[in-house]
Amino acid sequence: MSEREKLIEIKDLQITFGGGRKKFVAVDHVNIDIYKGETFSLVGESGSGKTTIGRAITRINPVSAGEILFKGKRISGKISKELDLEVIKKCQMIFQDPMASLNERAKVDYIVSEGLINHHLYKDEDDRKRKVEYALREVGLLPEFASRFPHEFSGGQRQRIGIARALIMEPEFVVADEPISALDVSIRAQVLNLLNRLKSSRGLTYLFIAHDLSVVRFISDRIAVIHKGRIVELAEAEELFLHPLHPYTKALLSAVPIPDPELEKKKQLVVYDPSIHDYSTNKPIWEEILPGHFIYGNEKELDQYRREIEAK
Amino acid sequence: MAKEPLLSARDIEIEFSLRGKILKAIRKCSLDLYEGETLAIVGESGSGKSVFTKSFLGMLDANGSITGGSIVYDGVDISKYKTEKEWLTIRGKKISMVMQDPMTSLNPLKKIGKQIQESIELCQGIKGEEAKKLSIEMLKKVGIPDPERRANQYPHEFSGGMRQRVVIAIAVACRPQILICDEPTTALDVTIQAQILDLIRALQRELNMTVIYITHDLGVVANVADRVAVMYAGQIVEYGLVNEIFYDAWHPYTWALLSSLPQLGVKGEDLPTIDGTPPNLFYEVKGDAFAPRNQQALAIDFEEEPPFFDVTSTHKAKTWYLDPRAPKIEQPKSIKMLREKMRK
Repeated sequence: MSEREKLIEIKDLQITFGGGRKKFVAVDHVNIDIYKGETFSLVGESGSGKTTIGRAITRINPVSAGEILFKGKRISGKISKELDLEVIKKCQMIFQDPMASLNERAKVDYIVSEGLINHHLYKDEDDRKRKVEYALREVGLLPEFASRFPHEFSGGQRQRIGIARALIMEPEFVVADEPISALDVSIRAQVLNLLNRLKSSRGLTYLFIAHDLSVVRFISDRIAVIHKGRIVELAEAEELFLHPLHPYTKALLSAVPIPDPELEKKKQLVVYDPSIHDYSTNKPIWEEILPGHFIYGNEKELDQYRREIEAK
Repeated sequence: MAKEPLLSARDIEIEFSLRGKILKAIRKCSLDLYEGETLAIVGESGSGKSVFTKSFLGMLDANGSITGGSIVYDGVDISKYKTEKEWLTIRGKKISMVMQDPMTSLNPLKKIGKQIQESIELCQGIKGEEAKKLSIEMLKKVGIPDPERRANQYPHEFSGGMRQRVVIAIAVACRPQILICDEPTTALDVTIQAQILDLIRALQRELNMTVIYITHDLGVVANVADRVAVMYAGQIVEYGLVNEIFYDAWHPYTWALLSSLPQLGVKGEDLPTIDGTPPNLFYEVKGDAFAPRNQQALAIDFEEEPPFFDVTSTHKAKTWYLDPRAPKIEQPKSIKMLREKMRK
């Protein structure tokens, strides 16, 4: 798989908040490659640092150690103005709560084209209007919605506006931060379909951040499980669901509600206890245990995981 | 089920007046609740599931009122209650509610212990030290470690899951007969969600409660429910035992809900979606409310409202599909596949 083009490379990423004695390490030793055209998902509980990684790629959160490469160029830390503009254009973000992420006082027309206006990315007023219209159509909204305010829309429509706002910049890489968690069941499917359709028509690459594993299985190519700022397991979507190895992944998977009463009522909940890892003498490493299947553990644990694989 | 229902709502109608217009939020909705069972009400937002259950507690907003039907609980029609004083004999003591968002349902300026104590003092008539002791006991019961210390803390010192535990402690402090959980886990993480569901189940057994879950997550429904009621546009359109709803649904709206689950999706293919929007309840709904969004709707769906048809003695659906005169309509493939697919 080494021939595939790496769009994003994250190397030994560390992100900290605060300084001095109050320093808090939110994300540590994260190594991920995201290939062009794939949907890469980050799952984990709240506070695990998954959003922080997404925000670091879009340069919202500063990086304290390690680096992030976009198409082979470093985009973390101090970069030139031209590269900064390119990152802004090419890496866009879709936010979780469509009720909170849109400016209540601005019309859709302005919300969608704000990125264009800020960076003068249009020739003239007609060009801007045309771009807004095109973006709205692409997400399944009518062009006349441009003159309305956000409160006139339902949650699903607002999320579409949020997607149009990201699309208008013609990005290559989109960070979708829990784009459907705040939506209703019936609308979830519509937004998921829209994201999938845009992926193939625009050749987008997604970093999909979620805590709902059922959705993740449907949409992702590869999944990374993050716990307390560290990636503990990374594998192809089906592989991860069928053969989870790390105890935290197992606990997470066992907690996913299955929409089947008979199975669901028999289900055994696995509780993850982080104290089972004894890393005092034997330092853990990030190991490719099977091709494409990475796991975080020390020698003893890795041996145990290998035995588990063989037993299958 | 020859048992007497614990609570029986008949033909409930609820109206809200909004800017001079009347919004019919609940249109002749009936529900029987049996002792000890867990009933789940599912439906999309705006289908009226919260409003319907809030009417059991007299917690409708000021511009809303019950305009028809009856809610018989303990031999009394509580829908006729007018004053707050009357409602307070029920609310919290007999029927209690856990709200969706634990971040907003606690008072941020009061210590956790005090908030539970308040509820105990109000309904059990115990005051001071004794109530305090009870409140600490409640905290222990809902699985909060080190309850003596935690009782002296403020809500902001608690995580989301812990706060929801506190909210549950307040709700069950008076040992209500019926506990209504309005999307109790929507704002929480999956791992925490599973723990909260387990907690509610344990408390239900211990305190012998009847629980109503309001949710749109069918995974949660499968986990907790004995019976399921599906709501659409202010009406219950189908209800039955949980297995009957999941494996043998008959209302087209239930089909649509089940088949839009991402768990059933095939990678690379579009998920089936429900097109259109729910009807505007400011206007009279003619026929089956779901018909405009149903591609296989029958002509009669647009003309006349369907009655409930029996599928089994416990399973009823409000759709013309089940009328003997209707053309034979098969359940969609995805519904039949549901069972096999989940087994994989």
